[in-house]
Order: sequence, then C-alpha cells, then structure tokens
Amino acid sequence: MPEIWIYSEDTNVAEQLLTVGRELADKLIQPLCAVTIFADDAQGLIASGADKVIVLKGDNPWPECYATPIATLVAQQSPVALIIGGTLRGKDLAAKVAARLKTGLVTDAFAIRVENGAIETDRMMYGGLAVCTEILSGIGMITVPPRIYEAPVKDTSRSGEIKTSEVVVETSMTVGNVCPIIRQGADITIADKLVCVGRGLGKQEDMQIATDLAMALGAEMACTRSVAEDYHWLPNESYIGLSGQRVKPSLYLSMGVSGQVQHVAGIRDSKIIVAIDTNENAPIFAVADYGIVGDLYQIVPLLTEAIKK
Amino acid sequence: MRLMSDEEKFDAIIVGAGPAGSACAYLLAKAGKSVLVIERGTSAGSKNLTGGRLYTYALELVEPGLYTQAPLERKVVREQIMMLGESSGVTIDYVDYSFKADIPQSYTVLRAHFDEWFAGQAEEQGAMVASGIRVDDLLIKDGKVVGVKAGEDEMFADIVIGADGVNSFMAQKAGLCNDITTQMVGVGIKEIIELPADTIQKRFNLAPDEGTARVILGCTEGIQGGGFLYTNKDSVSLGIVYSPESAAKQSKSVQEIYQDLKMHPAIYPLIEGGTTVGYGAHMVPESGLKGVPKKLYRDGFVVVGDAAGFCINTGTILRGIDLAIVSGVAAARAIISAQTAAEVGPNYVSELEKLNLTPTLKLFAGWPEITSIPRMASAYPQLVNDALKFMFTVDGTVPDKMPKAMMKIAKKHVSFGQLVADGWKGVTSI
Amino acid sequence: MPNIIACYKWVLDEQDIKINPGNQALDTSRAKSKISEYDRNALEEAVLQATKCGATVASLTFGNSTAKKSLKDALSRGPEKAYWVNDAVADTADGFVTATVLAAALQKIDEYDVIMFGEGAADTYGQQVGPRVATLLGIPAITFVTEMSIVGNQVTATRKIGDCTEVTTAQFPVVITVLPEINKPRIPSLKQVLGASKKPVTEWKTGDLGLTPEDLVPKNKIKSIKGFVMSRKNVLYKEGTPAENVASLVASLTKEGLL
Repeated sequence: MPEIWIYSEDTNVAEQLLTVGRELADKLIQPLCAVTIFADDAQGLIASGADKVIVLKGDNPWPECYATPIATLVAQQSPVALIIGGTLRGKDLAAKVAARLKTGLVTDAFAIRVENGAIETDRMMYGGLAVCTEILSGIGMITVPPRIYEAPVKDTSRSGEIKTSEVVVETSMTVGNVCPIIRQGADITIADKLVCVGRGLGKQEDMQIATDLAMALGAEMACTRSVAEDYHWLPNESYIGLSGQRVKPSLYLSMGVSGQVQHVAGIRDSKIIVAIDTNENAPIFAVADYGIVGDLYQIVPLLTEAIKK
Repeated sequence: MRLMSDEEKFDAIIVGAGPAGSACAYLLAKAGKSVLVIERGTSAGSKNLTGGRLYTYALELVEPGLYTQAPLERKVVREQIMMLGESSGVTIDYVDYSFKADIPQSYTVLRAHFDEWFAGQAEEQGAMVASGIRVDDLLIKDGKVVGVKAGEDEMFADIVIGADGVNSFMAQKAGLCNDITTQMVGVGIKEIIELPADTIQKRFNLAPDEGTARVILGCTEGIQGGGFLYTNKDSVSLGIVYSPESAAKQSKSVQEIYQDLKMHPAIYPLIEGGTTVGYGAHMVPESGLKGVPKKLYRDGFVVVGDAAGFCINTGTILRGIDLAIVSGVAAARAIISAQTAAEVGPNYVSELEKLNLTPTLKLFAGWPEITSIPRMASAYPQLVNDALKFMFTVDGTVPDKMPKAMMKIAKKHVSFGQLVADGWKGVTSI
Repeated sequence: MPNIIACYKWVLDEQDIKINPGNQALDTSRAKSKISEYDRNALEEAVLQATKCGATVASLTFGNSTAKKSLKDALSRGPEKAYWVNDAVADTADGFVTATVLAAALQKIDEYDVIMFGEGAADTYGQQVGPRVATLLGIPAITFVTEMSIVGNQVTATRKIGDCTEVTTAQFPVVITVLPEINKPRIPSLKQVLGASKKPVTEWKTGDLGLTPEDLVPKNKIKSIKGFVMSRKNVLYKEGTPAENVASLVASLTKEGLL
C-alpha cells in the first residue's frame, strides 16, 4: 500500500507530523496513516487528520522496544513514506527500523515534498553550511524535528479506521530511573525575544550587561554552545545550535557571537536577527538583518538605556 | 636505528617544522640519523606566514630538483618597486625572463601548502614529525642540552635544534638570547585575495606560469614599514610589514592603514572583485645581523632560521625562507660531519660561512639603518610622486624651470639637513 | 578481557568549505580533514572505560585513502590497534552503506563486547549508524549516553533524551552512542603521538568483507548539495559613534515593530 505513514512516541509531535503527512497524502492521493503505541491517542490522531490509525499494543511502555514490531508492520504494508518524529527516542527507533528494512533514512528533514511522483527531502549538512536535497526510493523513511510543523486544528467530526495490533515487544535491556530533566532556564524554543551571548564576553560577571538588556527587551537569555558546555554560564538547554536548541523568536539579538554555521543553523527561523560584535568580518553579520560593529561593553549598555526610554 | 627504551632517545630533536626545521630533518634523516621534529601547530605551516616568495637556490641545496615537486605558486619574472603618493603611484617595473629560465630564481609561495609538503618530504626520508605538540622546555644536564620537555613527556637527543621561529623560545631557554624587544621585530599582516588566474595574468601582464613581486613604499602613513604584493596562482597576497614601536606612536590603527592601502586608487583596481580567503599576522625579525645571537650554539644545541634572526630586509629584497633553509642545511651538515658532540657548534658556524649565509648577513648588516629612516616610509615616496607629477602635468600654465621646481618639491618634504643626514646614513650603511 | 571497539569517521572540516557565490556549489578543495568531534568523545570514553575494567580497545573506521592520516590521530588517543576499511565507496556512503560495511568489519573482527560511536557525524549528522549497526549485528544499542560504567559483562548507561534521563542496562555485546558531554577528549601528548606509529593497523577493502554490490549503493539519490543561503537585510551600523549606531539600531527595530 503506497500510503503515507507517520509515527512518534510523543503525541504532540505526532500531530505535527500529520500536517506534512496530510500535504503528501493529498498530493499522492493516498491514505494517511498514523502509528501509535498509545490506544488513547487514536481518536485524537484521527481528528488531526489521520485516515487510519494503527495502535500497537505491547506490554512494555518503553518506546524504544517497539522498533521491531514497527519494522515488521511496515515491511508487511510497504508505505511509500514513513515519517517519524525526530525526538531523540524517535531517531533511535527510526535508525533501527531502517536497518531492518534495509532502506535509507533522512534525518532532520526540514522540508518534504512530492516532485515528479517521488518524495523529496531537504536537510542540513556540514553543520548548517549546506542543504542536501534527496530523492527517496523504496520505503522513504524520514525523521522530522519537532516544531517544524504546526499541529493541525482538530476536527472531532472526522472519522477513520482504528486498528489495534497486539505485538510482542522484547528487549534485552532493562530501563529504570527515569528522571525528568528539570528545566533550569526558560524554554528558549518558545521565547518571542532572545538575547544571546557568545565567547566575546570576557567573564561571567559580564553576563550582567546581557541580562540587563534582556530585561529591558522582555527577552529570555540564550547562548552559544561553548558558553554552556565549556563555561557553564548558562544551562545546556539554553544553548542554540545544531546540537542544541532551534529557536523561532521574533527578535534574536546576539553579542560577542561570531556566527559559526552550527550556531546559525539554530537561529535560521528567527524573524529578525541582530548582531553586535567587534569584528566586521564575523560571519554573524552575513546572516543578520541589523548589526553594530563595535565593543559590546560600550554598545550594549547604551542600547539598554535607549530601550528603557 | 632508534633505541627503543623507556627513555625515548633520538640522534636529533628539531623544535619546529618550518623550512629550517624541515630542511635539517630531511638531510639528517637521509643520512640515516634518527630524527624527531616537534611542531606546535596542528600541521606544519599552520602557524607560518610569508609575503612572500622562496628563492629556489635554497631548495636546490637540500636536494637538486626537489623544488619541482614542491607546491610553489608562480615563477617571479616581474620585480616591482612602487612608491605611493596620496592618489598616485610610481612603479618601477623590472621584467627579466631569464629569472625563469632553467631553474627559476624564485617562486611565490603559500606557507600552509609549502611547509606541510616540506615536512612531509622530511618524513619520507625517515624523520618522525609530531604535530600539535608544544615543547615547553629544554632538558639541561651538567651544562649540556640533552633533550626537550613537552607537557609531561621528556625526550632525549644528542643534539637539539631550535627551529621555532621568530622570538625563539628555545634560543631563550638555551640562554643564547633574551626575549626580543619591539625594536628587533616587525609585524607583517597580510591578506590572501582570490582572483581567477587569467584576471591576475591580465592585470599584471603575466603568462600563466609567471608571477610578480612588488614592494610598496609610502603606504604606511608615516609608520616605519612598507607594503608588498605577490601574485600566486589564483590569488594575490597583499600586506604590510611595519614597526610596532613606530605604529604605537601613531593614532591610526594598522588595520585602518591597511584598508587605506587596499582602497588606494593605484592598488584597488588590481584586487577588485577578489574574495578574501585568508588573513593573518606574523612577527618578522627586522634587525639583520644585529638581531642574530652572539652565539648560535651551546653544548647539545644549535639555533636555525628565524629563531636565529636570519633575515634580510633591504626594503626591496626580503629574505627569510631561503636563509632558514640554508641554515637548516648548515646544521645538518655540521651534525653529520662532527666526530664528537663538541664539534657540532663550531662546524655549524663554519658551514654557515661556507654556504655564504654569514657573509651575506654581514653585507646587508647596515640596511636596517636605511629602512628605519622615517622618511623612507612617507616623505621620499611622496617626493618622487610629486616630482613625476610635475614632469607630467600639462595644463596650459607655464611650469617652473626644472631645477627650481625640483628644489621646491624637495623642500616640501625634506630639509637639506635631513637630506644630507639620510644620504650619509645610506652611503655608510651600504 | 572485554573488547571495546570505537568507531570514528574521518570528515572534512566544515570551516574550510567554501560556497561558490555564483551557483552555491560547495568548494571542498581546500578542506582539511579531522576525526569527527563526537567520535573523539567515543574514542576517549572507550579508552577511559578500558582502563577501568581492563579491556582492550581498537579503533575502526570506513574511509577512502585519505583516511590513512586519521590512523595516527586515532591511535595517539589510546587504542592499541586500528582497523581501517579503505574504500573510495566511503565517499558516497549513506547510513545504510556505512552501517552495512561497519557491521561486516565487526563480524570479521569477531570479538566485540562494547562498540562505541559518537551520536552523529560532524558532516552529515545522520545520527543513525550506531543503532543501525546494532540492529544488523542483532545486539542492543544504548543511544545518547552521558555516563556509563562496565561491571563484569554488563554495561549501565545514563541516556539524556530531551526532557528526561533514564538509566539503561544491557549485557555484552552492546552498542553505545555518546553525547559530547560524556567526557573531554585528550590532547595527545608527545609520547602518545610517537607511540601511535608503532601500533598495528589492519587494512581491509570492502571486497574482503563478503559484501554484495547492492550493499555499497546508497538507498536514496542525492539531487543536490548547495550552500545554505539566508537572505537577510544585512544592514550594518559601523561608521558612527557607539551612541549614534545604537540610535540607528533602535530606530530600525522600532520600525520593525519590535520595540
């Protein structure tokens, strides 16, 4: 069945995937099917646009152990595309499914479309420097990062087929001690305004200049990878980058950030990018809407004052 | 071959895989010695910069014909001296096609490629090259240098060669010299600007394998120093070398002065449309013979290359790489021919003499006096421009008589006393 | 004595890659190569764990002939020996091909208790080879690990997976993929760099691994790889005094409706 299938162990993400799934299904005139391991989600997935839902029922709640049953199911049904939510759990599972199916896997696609009857994807390469466009064949497996798509508006009047399958989930691994990570800072992925600090800041005490500006702007604080991972001036979930957070604020304002591609990959979706740096040739200015070349220790306090007025 | 013991011991340890270090390593390894080269950068050349060009005779000394395999840029056939005025320029252009006949006299060069290749050649001869490692200290026992220390590791050798470049840490540790002063060095800054090969050829009037080397005077806005321009295969190297001491006295930053040079109407059209692909700065030994340590060796240690201050700058001719290679060759020959450890040092000094390095340095010893004349950097170039402007101006007015005009122009830029003093200095220095 | 094998990828340094302004094509001609960052963490962790539990460590890579330079680098970081599948096919390999080749190499090596990977490669960042290899070998994979310990035949690892951490335990043999926060890779010392050249290297071609031609063909077709272009306003305030520049910026931001 050349259907479009989606799966995520995260319900919100699954709903987001239905948006792109719906586009593809309509284009190819094929049904859109959602796979889930939570029976309770089935109705909601239909309301979000799935034409059918397959519920996999196993006796182990650990999402990772559903790789084999999903692979078996997909092998039987041969959808033309299997889009999996690019959470870390999702990527883990997708790779295992792809290995079983001996098919390719496109990781972190930010665009999926149908072109000449085939599925095409766009993804970043070289830390955000380049875009790779691929034409998929066989069972087109793709992972899509959360929040690339908005979840569709639910239509509770929709109906669809819900099929439940009992599956055997085996795992040789034991899992325990699941601890939620307590967010230490604000959720920068939903912040409307962000002030970002980079290595241009000499010492931790200087962060005050940045936080003052953030307060004046009503912005949250964010940073580059080294500020979080090497200096520990901000928690890890506050760093923006390819391996960190991707943000979509209306305003991203950086100071002392040179603008390496890996960092820029995380700020791409910002509406307006502003940069302050001493080096006129810093890569950040090439991707900024507005910039000031100068000493941030002078500029930022002046800016904070000006905004307060 | 090497002794494999707990204490790693080599016949020679060379600190620095630049041209001096690699030349020495190549010949020592070729002669069957066990050689370890320790390079601070992630690869040989990563910490090096030149204007610049390489005089081929030096590579021929290492191994005849070796230069044909080296990643060299263009054969220099056009030698140019340019003097800049406010918005004018006088260029003396000497083109000599014999410079590229047989063994071409010099090639423009890019250090990242050249140094890495050269170190690789030394490796092929059997030298071990360890990159990304900084030597922290010399190991000295009973007054003799017996090895080096890098981090926690100690390595021993019969001879340690300090080839670690300008402001040599090794030479200081060996007690051969003190920390350099700002008077002894210049700072070179340079940009590599990418341009298509045939654009370069058109703009500089060159055939596909030919290159030009140009020194530029009067572009440093009063700071002691000068500019340079070299054509590489598909890029142009543009930059300035200046005296940091002199620069400190000016209010304008060197960056700004360099930007002004780039934008100068006589320079800009040459690099227009190019893309900057590299930018760097490096210290340059500027004192000639005066900057060379009194003693070039001690028991178990010799110093070569920039580390020994082997540089010549006459304002028009800049030589460092060739002298570095020659000194590396001298050191290798000294080590190979020495019957006892004590002979190495004196042998080295004697080889430097035999290979013409010392006589050459002596000959040019006075030149730093000339290049440091402040008027060389601004007044004289301006003067030349004004003189030529006078000669070529035709605007319907009646010009002054030639002698009177020249006096007027001269007086504008320099007093008679200064002229005499400079002339005297020039004559006595050469 | 347990056997730990750390896999790494020899990648182009993205900092050296230029984008041709005319057609956005990638110019990799000046690019140097490096051991992919997170793989250095994997190598380091393999060596750290081996020291603790008395295991042997080997490195394994699949790369074209230029990967020869990587061997000295990898060996200077602690492994006792290196395996290298030397084949130009590596240039076009996708996750499927790479995992197939590595799994075959591991089967040829035959002794593996813990196989370490970085969570993803610096160039493609596919984040799939580790779990793929595990599936092909029929063994478990613990991914996104920030901390691990080996006791007897068992690996216990803490995973950091977004909004929570979990502790997973598995018996040998097992694949582990690591996050960069797990350790700080060493800067090899002089003796380690010199020691590297004495260590044994086993080199294979894909032909030595019993693979079919199909195993070496990527599953999806690459239509294009182009420089990523973000078109932004690029308005730069640099001429005036700091106060003037700030005023200009504030005016612009107000106009954008952000202030």
